[in-house]
Amino acid sequence: MTGSSWARLALVVAIGLVLQVAVLDDVTVAGAHPDLMVLIAACAGMTAGSQRGAIAGFTAGLAADLVVNLPYGLSPLTFVLVGFGTGLVRANLAGRDDERTQAAACAVAAGAGTLLYALLGALTGHSGMVGLVTVSAVVVVTAGAAVLSWPVLRSLQWVFAGSRDQLGLVVPRGGSAG
Amino acid sequence: MAANRRTSQRLTLVMLVLASVTVLTLDYHGQASHAITDVRNAVRDAISPIQRGIAAVLHPVGDVFSGTINYGSLETQNQQLRRELGEIRLKLAADAYASAEAGRVLSLANLPFVAGVPLITSEVIGNSPSNFQSTVELDTGTSSGVGPGMPVVANAGLVGSVVTASSSTATVLLVNDPTSSIPVTVGTTGLYRAVGAGYGRPLTLDYVAGSTAVHRGELIYSSGLGGGAILAGIPVGIVSAVRVSAEGLVTTVTATPKVDLNDLQFVDVLEWLEPG
Repeated sequence: MTGSSWARLALVVAIGLVLQVAVLDDVTVAGAHPDLMVLIAACAGMTAGSQRGAIAGFTAGLAADLVVNLPYGLSPLTFVLVGFGTGLVRANLAGRDDERTQAAACAVAAGAGTLLYALLGALTGHSGMVGLVTVSAVVVVTAGAAVLSWPVLRSLQWVFAGSRDQLGLVVPRGGSAG
Repeated sequence: MAANRRTSQRLTLVMLVLASVTVLTLDYHGQASHAITDVRNAVRDAISPIQRGIAAVLHPVGDVFSGTINYGSLETQNQQLRRELGEIRLKLAADAYASAEAGRVLSLANLPFVAGVPLITSEVIGNSPSNFQSTVELDTGTSSGVGPGMPVVANAGLVGSVVTASSSTATVLLVNDPTSSIPVTVGTTGLYRAVGAGYGRPLTLDYVAGSTAVHRGELIYSSGLGGGAILAGIPVGIVSAVRVSAEGLVTTVTATPKVDLNDLQFVDVLEWLEPG
């Protein structure tokens, strides 16, 4: 990743964190709210491949854990796997990587990431994270990601514009590679 | 070339996973945990002005819509509340003596009592940042005298307790959070723990023997005893269901929180900390 990519990623993550805390945390359905930070990790993998997706996921996770009262490190661990996983999915979407498919894949990845977060949290001693609350969280996060994935994908394309993804293809501005 | 790229990707994944696990481990150690808490507090202080600004805009807007739609019922409710307020004032005068007596009895047993504890009124400026915790963010912090461990009340009932406090904000763990466990008594009898079960779910009382006489509709109060205790005498919930096991050995008691935790706007932080 280039220096400008790092700077843009930091900016997108910071803005995402502020939007999450100041706006999205109050948009609750059945006690759950959309999660912009896990979506950033998913969209990063979809945009720039598994390696950069994992790095972006780690960064977004470090930021996300600054505002919660759960073990610090849980989000980076989860989002690394989400970013890496969507990068692998991206590599296997050859011929079907239109924006709608990418957005749908990111929404599903965000929901899967939420489930993974709950499971990892239970492993670290927070058994209350697995239960009915997990179902509502996964559903609401997936639905919210379906709505938000397009602007987040555009943001991550701007972050990685001009750099090369895992296939060695340049990520152009405003569109995905390949 | 492709093999090298795959190796590089896997190496990156392994390194980042190890870094995440390292950070997790550091958070469980005292020194690093304090540093992480300090950073978290600094971030909360940085974001809180934006939260306050948005709350200042959205709360009145929401109130306008709500007031327009519900004007008729609000007027009726207003009249009913005025009537109840008059009745409560009369009752307060009559209860003043009983309250003083209760305070004297509890102080003899070295139990803290809620009456006379200073209050810090705070506005709720944000909901929980996590989908797996039941918390709210307040617009007051250590600079206003708020500290971790202080009970938080609203509408004459327990909301929860402060878990973290930065200079300008505080995070309150609500009574229905799965990690919340409050020493309580039912009416004036028994010592139990009210355990949260998450959003929209009732509290569960632990350690209730099968022979215990608990009835639906009874009020549950904080007992002021046991680890994690808060002031005695704060209403926590209302018994909603009592089920006795087939053998009659165990009674399962559930309770609805006294306060509507989905509609919190202003709360009071009690300036009190558990001794020792």
